Amino acid sequence: MFAGFDFDVIERSLPYLFREGMVFTVTLTALAMTGGIVFGTGLAMMRLATGVSLAPLVWLAGAYVNLMRALPLVLVIFWFYFLVPWIGGWLIGARQTIQVGAFWSAVITFTMFEAAYYCEIMRAGIQSVSRGQQSAGYALGLNYWRTMGHVVLPQAFRNMLPVLLTQTVILFQDTSLVYVISATDFLGAAAKVANRDHRLVEMYLFAALVYLVVSYVASRTVGRLQARLAVIR
Amino acid sequence: MISIRGLSKWYGAFQVLADCSTEVAKGEVVVVCGPSGSGKSTLIKCVNGLEPFEKGEILVDGISVGSPKTDLPKLRSRVGMVFQHFELFPHMTVTQNLTLAQVKVLGRTPAAAHEKAMALLDRVGLRAHADKFPGNLSGGQQQRVAIARALCMDPIAMLFDEPTSALDPEMINEVLDVMVELAQEGMTMMVVTHEMGFARRVAHRVIFMDEGKIVEDAPKEEFFGTPRSERAQQFLAKILHH
Repeated sequence: MFAGFDFDVIERSLPYLFREGMVFTVTLTALAMTGGIVFGTGLAMMRLATGVSLAPLVWLAGAYVNLMRALPLVLVIFWFYFLVPWIGGWLIGARQTIQVGAFWSAVITFTMFEAAYYCEIMRAGIQSVSRGQQSAGYALGLNYWRTMGHVVLPQAFRNMLPVLLTQTVILFQDTSLVYVISATDFLGAAAKVANRDHRLVEMYLFAALVYLVVSYVASRTVGRLQARLAVIR
Repeated sequence: MISIRGLSKWYGAFQVLADCSTEVAKGEVVVVCGPSGSGKSTLIKCVNGLEPFEKGEILVDGISVGSPKTDLPKLRSRVGMVFQHFELFPHMTVTQNLTLAQVKVLGRTPAAAHEKAMALLDRVGLRAHADKFPGNLSGGQQQRVAIARALCMDPIAMLFDEPTSALDPEMINEVLDVMVELAQEGMTMMVVTHEMGFARRVAHRVIFMDEGKIVEDAPKEEFFGTPRSERAQQFLAKILHH
């Protein structure tokens, strides 16, 4: 069946695929995950704020999350790439547009987009911690920020760890969409080699295999981590 | 020490507390009892501002709980609270539970906080469990840790919200023993409980609540001897006959 295929092309291009492509993909995933969880947790806290004076925050965070979740990711990446130089320039008051490379544009886009999804996960996580825990924090004299930081969020994070990591596996796969701004991630690198050497089937098969293996291993790790970090009740 | 004046609270249109007034003097032990839904837990949670209230005034050591100018976290750090469901932090060890607020709120050094925690664990007889997680302790042990955690802050008064209601019967006494000892040392205490044995032993006064009102507020002897209200008589007859 594989007669006529040339699998040597994979071996020859391995250093390029991994040193250029995979490094881009993994770095982008890691940065967007970190930024997305931090930003998303902030959004979740805003969405769960109580009291009349904080109502605008609740509305703002809700609107942001719903907007991001209603747009296709490809569009957001595409638009953001062209808009960031203008917005950035406007923000710092420069006459010219500022230069943002494809990589940083992608990092910012994915962080902002994924934050909407991480927000909903963390919101469920915060709600999974009983109100009594918050009361206990307050009763000891801890203020809102300390109660969240030391009592509620650590538990919310542990409870939601499997879902957070599953979302990160999805993020890892979604980073391949940066092809729309011609960034060279792992899939982009594979595509370049495929087109140069006319070995499309081999390269795309290999790329699929790599994504499969990484995602599978990550999913298995989630299960093990969960067992180790779970809170004893 | 604690004075509650004309306290009223509503959940929407439903009135949970209706014009409640009482005083708790320094060193006094006051037991609050009444049928479920009578507002006794809500009342005690108003005292340290965990529940907001719409009308009336609560003064703790002369500081108004309801005033927007009051530094509530600071006030709460001086009033210990023990909850029905313990509410220990399950992701921290017993020692971490006891030292967190000492370091973050009172600004004690970790070493000083640790020393204080060990002294109080000794006192509730749980020093051997210092490095365990709450989930590995029995209910009675968890509640004793919770009492120790509150005492770590050197509170001027202690609030207990049904501290033994979630416990298996054989564990109730180990918690009550700690509370009795605390009362005998002169701690100012407000205790929501159905443990009438505890009330008889250490309470100075008993408050009986029904439908959000303080129906009876009397010295212990008077309350158990000749309760004035019919409602309190019925309640006592029901819970004392078994």
